[in-house]
Amino acid sequence: MKFKFNRELTELVDNKVISEDTAIRITEYYRYKEKGQSNPLFMIFGIFGSALVGLGVILILAHNWDHLSRPIKTIFAFLPLLIGQVLSGIAILKNKSRAWKESAGTFLFFSIGASIALVSQIYHIPGDLSSYLLLWISLGLPLIYLLDSKAVDMLVIILATYYAVELGYSFNGGSRVPWLYFLIMLGTLPFYISALLKSAQANSTGILNWLYAVSLMISLGTCINSNWALAFLMYALLFGMYYNLGYLNVYRNGLLRRNSFKLLGSLGTVVLLVVFSFNGIWEDVESKVFVVNSQELIISVLLFVSALVLLGFSYKKRTEVMLDVFQFVFLVFVILFAIGTINAGLATVLTNSILLLLGLFAVKSGTERLSFGILNYGLLIISVTIICRFFDTDMSFVLRGILFVLVGLGFFLTNYFMFKKQKSIQS
Amino acid sequence: MKSKYLFIIFVVIAVLQLFAPANMIYNQEHILKTGTLYKFKTQPIDPNDPFRGKYVTLSYELNSAKSRDSTLQKDDKILVYLEKDSSGYAQVKAVSKTKIENEKDFIEVKVDWYNPYTNDVGFSLPFNRYYMQEFKAKPAENIYRKYNSVLDTINQTYALVSVKNGDAVLKEVYINDRPLLNYLELKTSE
Repeated sequence: MKFKFNRELTELVDNKVISEDTAIRITEYYRYKEKGQSNPLFMIFGIFGSALVGLGVILILAHNWDHLSRPIKTIFAFLPLLIGQVLSGIAILKNKSRAWKESAGTFLFFSIGASIALVSQIYHIPGDLSSYLLLWISLGLPLIYLLDSKAVDMLVIILATYYAVELGYSFNGGSRVPWLYFLIMLGTLPFYISALLKSAQANSTGILNWLYAVSLMISLGTCINSNWALAFLMYALLFGMYYNLGYLNVYRNGLLRRNSFKLLGSLGTVVLLVVFSFNGIWEDVESKVFVVNSQELIISVLLFVSALVLLGFSYKKRTEVMLDVFQFVFLVFVILFAIGTINAGLATVLTNSILLLLGLFAVKSGTERLSFGILNYGLLIISVTIICRFFDTDMSFVLRGILFVLVGLGFFLTNYFMFKKQKSIQS
Repeated sequence: MKSKYLFIIFVVIAVLQLFAPANMIYNQEHILKTGTLYKFKTQPIDPNDPFRGKYVTLSYELNSAKSRDSTLQKDDKILVYLEKDSSGYAQVKAVSKTKIENEKDFIEVKVDWYNPYTNDVGFSLPFNRYYMQEFKAKPAENIYRKYNSVLDTINQTYALVSVKNGDAVLKEVYINDRPLLNYLELKTSE
């Protein structure tokens, strides 16, 4: 990278684009800037190294060394923990580099898990996996703040999700709502917000964006008690909130691939609408008794309010006049759901119309912004809606065939015209 | 200056991290040393825990008792008071939601079911995991299954458990008065 950069600079000087003096100043500037940062590769290998060693320690300890005496096993339970603590202590006291802090934090986090696991094993302590994970997470969580470590934050999110799934999706009948999962996530939130404010464009923050979005999406399902119809509404509102959250400047100003909330929000909304474009689902909703005082409804209200606040916020702060229909889908879905509880047929027709409208909107904004990604996303929404209708309507094969050909042609032509438009603008 | 404060907080957290496993050890050792030993007849299977390794799940013959308390519901916490029979095996003396005075050994369990017609309350004893080396858990289970069948009245399989103030620690699992591991080695060398 550095070599390439220097070569480019020499080329610019040779071709008299910049003066030699400017080239020297640019080199000086980057040399000064690099001094304050540790090498990112060094940090990544440090974290991976510590994670692998930590996991290895857990596996070695899980073997159950039954020929070793209890006191010796106990020493082994504390050894990795003490090593991790000493390393982390040095990192804090001497204010070591980020690479050092992240690696020490990762290792200490795993050794906490190894230590409790071994003690549980030595004394045959009962208790299911979820209670073990909870103890591990609570002892490891403060390290996020003490070591200013994104790696530990990632580990906490992953383990907290594991905890939520373990407790909430138990298929042998004993599933409970993992409320403490939400508390843990709240506990990590100040760190995440400060990471967003300090380094929104960093790759590590991008990973955090994805982890938070996916984790909440997985864990929200644990709040479903028995009210399946309302659970769909809950998810529609979550995706609505995600999409509007993705409109905040910290997410919006960066690369789209780092904006997990906008991507998941949009994709989730479309998938949910496609599911609801089938009449059978709406008939199910219509026949369900609407329970007002359920936890699903309370959570739905909370999500609705937060989505609405975010929507209002993004409209107050908007810089362009353009309207994004996707931002409003959650509002439409609430109305649709209300209609669906009374009239399934009407709701089905409306859902299909909304899907087509969203597809058309994406095609339009794709052509306006000259983005092939958005254009084809829109075309995909339209095609999926049409293809899905083949399953529940009695259309003749000829008509279906013609529709397929038309959709295919639509893909070709729109992409071709856009390609031409892009070329004419470039020339 | 900032790192000094951070370090002080870190030391507190580090002590907590050390305290958690140390406290677990202390509690278990305390019960093992000062608790009363009971034998519980068992029936096992062998599952896996991703972090703590292989174990043999033990289910116990002692899984229900008589109770006249008709308010009992699933997941209620109850205290099962124990006494020994003539061979040292644990049997239920009384079941109660609150502590009974002058009664010593009890275990806190959760109600699985209650039958108001027969006045039977069902529960699972909490000390249900016996951790073993991954290659030994399966053969141990096989031997255990063989000897633990209801038809087998000659071979005795039981868990030795130390009980104190509502808590219990599984000390060892026995087949015919030999520790399970010991028995396993004997059987594989035969």
